[in-house]
Amino acid sequence: MTDIAPDAPVAAGPVPSSAERGGFNALRFAWTAALRELRGGLSGFRVFLACLILGVGGIAAVGSVTTAIERGLAAEGQSILGGDAALTFSYRFASDEERAWMAERGKVVEMVSMRSLLRKGEERALAEVKGVSSGYPLYGEAIVAGGTDLMNALAPVDGIHGLVTERILAQRLDLQPGDEVKVGGGAFIFRGVLAQEPDRASGGFAMGPRVMTSVDGLREAGMLQAGVLFQAGYRLKLAETGNLDNTEAEFEQAFPEAGARWNDRRNAAPGINRFVDRLGAFLTIVGIAALAVGGVGIGAAVRGYLTRKVPTIAALRTLGATAGTVFSIYLIQIGLIAALGITIGVGIGGGLVALLGPIFAKNLPVPAEFTLYPVPLAEAALFGALAAMLFTLWPLAWLRRVKPAQLFRNAVDPQQIWPGWQILLALVLLAAALVGAIIGLSATPKLAAWCLGGIAAAFVMLRALGWLCARAARRLSHSTLAQRRPGLRLALGAIGAPSAGTPGVVLALGLGLGVLAAIAQIDHNMQKLLHDQLPEDAPAFFFVDIQSAQLDPFTAQVMDIDGTERLETAPMLRGILTGLNGIPAKEAKIDPAGAWVLRGDRGVSYAATVPAGVVVTEGEWWEADYSGPPLVSFAEEEGRELGLSIGSTITVNILGRPITAEVANFRKVEWRGMGINFLMILSPGALAGAPHTHIATLYADQNAEAPVMRAVSQEMPNVTPVLVREQIDTVSESLGKLGTATRWGALAVLLTGLAVLIGTAAAGEERRTSEAAILKVLGASRRAILGSFALRAALTGAIAGIVALFWGSLSAWSVMNYVFETPFSLPLGSTVAIILGGAALSLLAGLGFALGPLRRKPAGVLRTAAG
Amino acid sequence: MEPLVRLDRIGLTLPSQAGDVEILKGISMDVAPGESVAIVGPSGSGKSSLLMVLGGLERATDGTVRVLGQDLTVADEDALAALRRGRVGVVFQSFHLIPTMTAIENIQVPLEIADHADPVARASEMLAAVGLADRARHYPAQLSGGEQQRVALARALAPGPELLLADEPTGNLDGETGTQVTDLMFELARQFGATLILVTHSDVLAERCSRMVRLSDGRIAA
Repeated sequence: MTDIAPDAPVAAGPVPSSAERGGFNALRFAWTAALRELRGGLSGFRVFLACLILGVGGIAAVGSVTTAIERGLAAEGQSILGGDAALTFSYRFASDEERAWMAERGKVVEMVSMRSLLRKGEERALAEVKGVSSGYPLYGEAIVAGGTDLMNALAPVDGIHGLVTERILAQRLDLQPGDEVKVGGGAFIFRGVLAQEPDRASGGFAMGPRVMTSVDGLREAGMLQAGVLFQAGYRLKLAETGNLDNTEAEFEQAFPEAGARWNDRRNAAPGINRFVDRLGAFLTIVGIAALAVGGVGIGAAVRGYLTRKVPTIAALRTLGATAGTVFSIYLIQIGLIAALGITIGVGIGGGLVALLGPIFAKNLPVPAEFTLYPVPLAEAALFGALAAMLFTLWPLAWLRRVKPAQLFRNAVDPQQIWPGWQILLALVLLAAALVGAIIGLSATPKLAAWCLGGIAAAFVMLRALGWLCARAARRLSHSTLAQRRPGLRLALGAIGAPSAGTPGVVLALGLGLGVLAAIAQIDHNMQKLLHDQLPEDAPAFFFVDIQSAQLDPFTAQVMDIDGTERLETAPMLRGILTGLNGIPAKEAKIDPAGAWVLRGDRGVSYAATVPAGVVVTEGEWWEADYSGPPLVSFAEEEGRELGLSIGSTITVNILGRPITAEVANFRKVEWRGMGINFLMILSPGALAGAPHTHIATLYADQNAEAPVMRAVSQEMPNVTPVLVREQIDTVSESLGKLGTATRWGALAVLLTGLAVLIGTAAAGEERRTSEAAILKVLGASRRAILGSFALRAALTGAIAGIVALFWGSLSAWSVMNYVFETPFSLPLGSTVAIILGGAALSLLAGLGFALGPLRRKPAGVLRTAAG
Repeated sequence: MEPLVRLDRIGLTLPSQAGDVEILKGISMDVAPGESVAIVGPSGSGKSSLLMVLGGLERATDGTVRVLGQDLTVADEDALAALRRGRVGVVFQSFHLIPTMTAIENIQVPLEIADHADPVARASEMLAAVGLADRARHYPAQLSGGEQQRVALARALAPGPELLLADEPTGNLDGETGTQVTDLMFELARQFGATLILVTHSDVLAERCSRMVRLSDGRIAA
């Protein structure tokens, strides 16, 4: 008999109970036990951490960039706007009274802008022309390359005004200082390259590079005649800058019918702000999608961890720990790891932007102040924490429900046990909090809500499809298809096994690939819309600023050129809608979808009879010789959005003159058609005597483009031709850039999906090791086993790819159909590439994790004991 | 006549974190066709390791191992798999059935790997032979331990192997079930004419074999 002597005598009798020792502190015990278990390291939490870091990091980065741009725009509001406040008039200058009002309040600079052709000899290019008066810019600095003073560069020498251009235009036309160039009908001298224009960002969408000259230069060139489409802008450096709202109100009170647009430094570039807000909101949603995908990985990681911890949990329960205590132990552990992941994600997302932002800032078209911003980081942390809790609570809830006996029977699957109502309630509350936080903190709540709805629908659909695929695989594994094909049967059986995690992988990889597929398809359809439909639907040219007297010779000249098919012309004015049914437009309750109509000046025309191609949908067109009070034909959809009906009245300010007209009819307007369309067509008498020009669209084949351009620019230099194809390319390029930004976002989702895929593949390694060993015992070669593993991975990837294709295409179709209202076509190449990509990604991950099990010697795996 | 198994001074040393462990030390033995051999000995004596070496699942680090006329010490892993294919069957204490396949599919696998003419019919026949014809569509998790071991036995014997290796086949079963499985194993081995090498702790089981080899500390005890 062995003698085992105790080191110290052991007290006999019962150990004092916890109550006797001052009470058992379950929470303190849970903390201690949790920390003890975490000493084992984080190896089981790599996927958990990767998912959380990617999602939180992405959201933190997007939030930081958006905030940096917003701060940049706000900080440089004065120089972006070019003043404390700005007043813009459509093709009229301010009246003497308006000028006096502005002068009373501070320093004023006048500027005009328009589109025109810049020509040097036979070379020509469409340009955004801006004329400035002395004193420009009020804020910031306009720099001419070489250090010339801007005003000196623009000043006339021997009666010819100077101009400067953006570098790209100087290069395109090979301009050298001293070269004579023409803008419209006037001659100018090129004096140098405009290296910096402080208020460039407030200009909105540009159709060409900048040309800058003086207001006087443009006036002398005959480019500011009545009716010409120019905008006159005034920048104010206010003596009293305290209350901009008051100043704005004072102007509106003094000139209620001015039809001027007010803007001030607080929102210097509303277009950019809106764009940044929308892109930021979209990318945040993509980040949320990444978190949702990551949630699958988080949930699977927690389930896997708890399954491995069954012996520990069984021991703890045997030793008297309650279900609640065990739940607390693992909740604390996972909470600590989640906190670590969130901290790293926030650190990487915010830190990278703060560190790398300044390097890229120079190339951004907008000012941005890169630093660490706590608010977007806190938002990212909040989203991460809520998502982590949402996805871990379900598997953790199992701890509260599982019976100790089940633990010992080793017959536990955390997925199979339904959580109690308290947990379900907590899950509902967490989901509501997450949705509320995302929508509440979004700059575009409606977009956020729609996107979340889309993600939720995709989530449910993908989960269901994943489940169906698993069921189908299980069924197929027993079918005749798998007879005599053990590799295929093994692969199908593994995909269909309840513990295989197929629905999770299909969801994660499918969501990532699906977002990518949807963006690629939307991009493809937008490009297709712009390019493919061009020959059929789009004219070759737009012409603006055709004087009434030029209309007939212009028509004759253009139609005389070979290859021109059809010319449509219409009188063109621009006006601002200032009133709806007698109340100021700004106070009217309208559908937000129609808000753009009130945002700036809109095209207005007049016609005695129904113009060709116009379809009246409600009401009647006026008599050809109608001479009564003004009537208007309004675009139907926009009219409804503004709350108009037949008989309603609108007030439109044209050239500073308010015109109130009654809505006589609604017209169907196809904005995409690129033909001549107007929001409002007035009865002719309403605009009697108003100076105006004409707009024309020319349908011609491509060979006619150059001769038309040459003829018009030589014979009628005041007429500005806009080559539609070039503009399509410009828009196409902008779309491409937007597509790139969104593709980066989609990549974040895909990366998270990949992390989940890798996590699932890693989690299955133990089983693959065992299967490989058994198959070797049964005589299978390594190649056959590898083939089966590869088949399994490729099949899972292909399923995810097909599922991604299905829901990605559905999303893209919905966007094209409901948002852009255009037909949808499926791009076969990129579609197949996505399916193959999914299969390849899965295959790579699967093979990566198959090599280990294959290398293991079967004896080591199968030996229960060394004998 | 060449013995079915010939071991010549084989040794097995395996690496471990605490250093190399010498598990088998100079074991030599022959097994003739049709014999049934019990390998017995205390825990850690190397019984299961010896069985793994015999099945080509572990490579001896010393000496030579000839099984069914082939030198296992020079064959690569695929050659070893090819040797087992249809000619060597193995039964484990822990059954080692493939959890994603039904009982009949588990039995079909080695037949399909060996390119048997009619795996389904043969698997059904084997399943009936072990008394589980009605459990063909059941997954391993839906079977009791004894039933799983009977499926494992059917799987090992289905291709008609010349050599059946069994590692503690009753170790995870209760006494009565163990006896039923053992009876079945001896009966089927006899029917199939397979040579049986059995690792066991049970003297009762060992005594049913035609020969007993006792291992102690990696050596054949005298």
